[in-house]
Amino acid sequence: MAKTTTAPLLTVTDLTLRFGGLVAVDHINLTAEKGEITAVIGPNGAGKTTLFNCLTGFYKPTSGESRIHRDGRDFILESLPPTRLISDAGICRTFQNIRLFQKMTVLENLIIAQHPGLMRASVWSIAGLLGTKKFRAAEAAAVAQARQWMERFDLLAYADLAAGNLPYGVQRRVEIARALCTHPVLLCLDEPAAGLNATESARLNELLLQIRRELGIGILLIEHDMSVVMQISDRIFVLDHGKVIASGTPAEIRKNPAVIAAYLGVEEEEEPAVLKQLSKKSPTQKATTPKTPTKNPSTKKVKKDGKK
Amino acid sequence: MKNSTQTAAKKLSLPHSLRLAVLATLVAVVLGIPMVALGTTDQNGSLILVQRWPWLLWLAIVIFVGRLFTAELAAHGVVDSLKTWLSSRHPNRPKFRDRNPAILWLRGKLPEPTVTLLLLAFLLPMMPFTDRYSIDLATTVLIYVMLGWGLNIVVGLAGLLDLGYVAFYAVGAYSYAIISQTLGLGFWETLPIAGLLAALFGILLGFPVLRLRGDYLAIVTLGFGEIIRIILLNWQSLTNGSRGIGGIARPEFFGLSMSQTAGGDSSTFVDWVNGNLTMIGQWFGGSEAGLEAYRLSYAPVHRITFLYFVILGLLFFTDFLVRRLRNLPIGRAWEALREDEIACRALGINPTMVKLSAFALGAGLGGLAGCFFAARQGFISPESFTFMESATVLAIVVLGGMGSQIGVVVAALFLVLVPELGRAFADYRMVGFGAAMVLIMVFRPEGFVGERKPSLILGLVGKAKSKAKTKGVQ
Ligand SMILES: Nc1ncnc2c1ncn2[C@@H]1O[C@H](COP(=O)(O)OP(=O)(O)OP(=O)(O)O)[C@@H](O)[C@H]1O
Ligand SMILES: [Mg+2]
Repeated sequence: MAKTTTAPLLTVTDLTLRFGGLVAVDHINLTAEKGEITAVIGPNGAGKTTLFNCLTGFYKPTSGESRIHRDGRDFILESLPPTRLISDAGICRTFQNIRLFQKMTVLENLIIAQHPGLMRASVWSIAGLLGTKKFRAAEAAAVAQARQWMERFDLLAYADLAAGNLPYGVQRRVEIARALCTHPVLLCLDEPAAGLNATESARLNELLLQIRRELGIGILLIEHDMSVVMQISDRIFVLDHGKVIASGTPAEIRKNPAVIAAYLGVEEEEEPAVLKQLSKKSPTQKATTPKTPTKNPSTKKVKKDGKK
Repeated sequence: MKNSTQTAAKKLSLPHSLRLAVLATLVAVVLGIPMVALGTTDQNGSLILVQRWPWLLWLAIVIFVGRLFTAELAAHGVVDSLKTWLSSRHPNRPKFRDRNPAILWLRGKLPEPTVTLLLLAFLLPMMPFTDRYSIDLATTVLIYVMLGWGLNIVVGLAGLLDLGYVAFYAVGAYSYAIISQTLGLGFWETLPIAGLLAALFGILLGFPVLRLRGDYLAIVTLGFGEIIRIILLNWQSLTNGSRGIGGIARPEFFGLSMSQTAGGDSSTFVDWVNGNLTMIGQWFGGSEAGLEAYRLSYAPVHRITFLYFVILGLLFFTDFLVRRLRNLPIGRAWEALREDEIACRALGINPTMVKLSAFALGAGLGGLAGCFFAARQGFISPESFTFMESATVLAIVVLGGMGSQIGVVVAALFLVLVPELGRAFADYRMVGFGAAMVLIMVFRPEGFVGERKPSLILGLVGKAKSKAKTKGVQ
C-alpha cells in the first residue's frame, strides 16, 4: 500500500454490496478530499445511504474497500471495529431519518458524542463516583466543547430541552453538531437539508461552508436538494442503481445530459427544460427534484436505514 | 372547525358506544363462562362443580353499562380533557412546581426527594402509632424499592425489558443461605459476595442476549428466571429442593446477636445494652434502681426494627449509587442505548459494554436485596422466587415512571400497600388492584413520575460541587 502525502482523505475502491440479488452498491470508486465538500446524489434507491452504511461500519461490503488517510496513516474502514471507526479513522455520520436521543436534552446529546473519552476519564466510573478533579475537568471540557458547537449552530437556547420535542430543522442541526463533537476528519451527512424550509436550508449551506473553511475537514454529503448541492459542493458523484455514472464539479454535472436522464428519469426530449430548471441557483427556490423532501421522518423510518 | 367535528362526534357517538359496549360484554361473557359461571369447590375432600349463572348475568350487565358509560364519556371529550389534565403537559414547559417560589424555596432547603423520603422513613419506628406489623410491612415495601431501583437500571434507564429479574434476587438469597451455612460467614461478610455473585449471573445472562431487544429479550429473560427457579428446585444437594433452606442466620449488629440467645462466643444486643447500663450507672454513681427503667428486656420487635434499619441503610447506599451513576458517562450511555442503539454505534459507543454494565449492576442490586431477604425470613424456598415476583417488580418500575428513582418508591408503596390494605375485602382486593392498575395506565401511561431530569444542565455546569448542581440535577 503506497502512502503518499497527497492521498485523498477518503478513497473508496470497487466497493460492492449485495442484498441477495440486488446490488445496492456496485463497484463504486470514489474519493473525498480534506477541506472539500463532496456530494453524492442520485435518484431514490440509488444506494447512497447504503454506501454510507458501508463506510460507517453498519454494513459489511461484499467486496472492495474504503480507506481513510489521516495524519500520514491509512485506515481500512472494513477492518476497523466500529468504535475505532470514530476514534481512529475519524469518520462520523448523521442519519437520513434523524436519530437523536429524543428524551435527552440537546446538551446531553452532544455530551454522549464524547462518551468514549469521558468514559476513559471516569475510569470504570470509579473516578466518576469519587468525583475526582481529573474527571470533573474532563467533564467540564466536554461541556465546553458542546457549548461551543451549540453557539455555532444557534442551539444554546435549546440546550436543556428534550431533543425530541424540538422543531425539525433544529433537530437536524443538533444531529450535525453531535457528529462534530466526535472530532471527525470526515463528516458524512445523509440528506441534512431534507425537511428544511428555504431559510433554514440557506443557513445550513452557510454552516457547512463555514465548517469546511474553519475545520478543514472533509464533508461527504448526500443531498436531494439541488440548491444545496449545486451551491456548496466542490465535487459531485452521481449514483444510479448502485453505480457511479458521473462525477465532476457542479458546473460539469449540471451540463451532463446522462446525469439528468438517469437522475430525473426523464425522456430525452424533455432534457432542455430540465437543464434550465437545474441551472437556477437561487437558494430560496428549490430546483425540481424527483422527490419532495421528507416532511415526516417517521414514515420513512420503517423502510430506510433498515439495520435493526 | 373543531366545534363542528365535535358536534358531529356527539351525534354519532351513541351507536358507536353501543357497539363498543356490546363487544366488551361479549368478551366478558366468553371469558366469564369458565372463570365466573363455572367454579369448583371442595366438598368433603372431593372437588365438585358449581354453577353460578346469575353472577355471569350481573357481570354482563355491569360490563355493558360501564363500557357504555366510559365510551360516552370518551366521545364527549371528558376522558381526553381528564387525561391532558392528569398527564404531564408539554415536556418543555415549566411545571407549576418549577415556577412556584414557595415550592422552589422548599426544594432548595430539602435534600433530593428520595433522600428526603428515606430520612422520613428513618423516623417511622419512632412514631407512636408504629407497631410490629407496620414495621414489618414497611420492610417489605423497602425490599421492593430496592428491587425496583435495581431493575430500573436495566429497564428504565437502559431500556432492556427484563422479565426474569427474580433470578438475581434468588441468586442473592441462596448465596447467603448456602454460604452462611457451609462456610459460616455472617450477613455482613456475605452481603458483598451475594451482590457480586448476582452481578456475575447478570453478565452470564447478558452475553447471550446482547443482540436481542424488545419482545425477544423479554422472552429469553423470562426463560432465564424460570431456569434459575427450576435449578433451585432440582439441585437437591445444594438447595434442598422444594423444602427450601431454613434456620438462616440473622444479621448481627456489630457482632451482637439480635436474637434472644446468642450462639457461640458472641453476646446478645440486649445483654450488651444492659451490661453497659450498669457500667455507665457506676460512672455516674447512680443507683441500680434508677437504671432499672432503662433496662431492656428481649422483644422480637428489636430484631424487626433492626432489620428495617438494615434495609434502609442499603437503600441509602443504592440511592446514592444509582443517582450518582446516572449523571456519569455510564448512566448517560444507558439512557442513550434506550433511546437509540444505532445512533450509539454511530457515535463510537460500544453497546456491549453498556448493556453488560446495566445487567451486572441491576443484577447486583437484586442480589443484595435477595441476601437481605434471606436474612430477614430465615427461611427461603424456590416458591419465593416465582415469575409473579418479577412481574411485581417490573410493574413497580413501569408504574413509577421509567427511569425515575422517586417514582419507584411511590409505585412500591402503592403496589405493596394497596393489596395489603385491601385484605379486609378478601377476594375482591385483586379485582380492585387490577382496576387501579388499568386506570393508572389509561390516565398516566408514562407512570407516576413521567418527566425526566437531565443529567447535566448547561447553566449549572461548572459550579462543580456546589449545591446548585446536586439540587437541580438528579
Ligand atoms: N437492509 C436492506 N436489505 C435489503 N435491501 C436494502 C436494504 N437497505 C437498502 N436496500 C435496498 O438498496 C437500495 C438502495 O437503498 P438506499 O437506501 O441506499 O437508497 P438511497 O440512495 O439512500 O435512496 P433515498 O434517496 O431514498 O434515500 C434500495 O433498492 C433499497 O431497497
Ligand atoms: Mg438514503
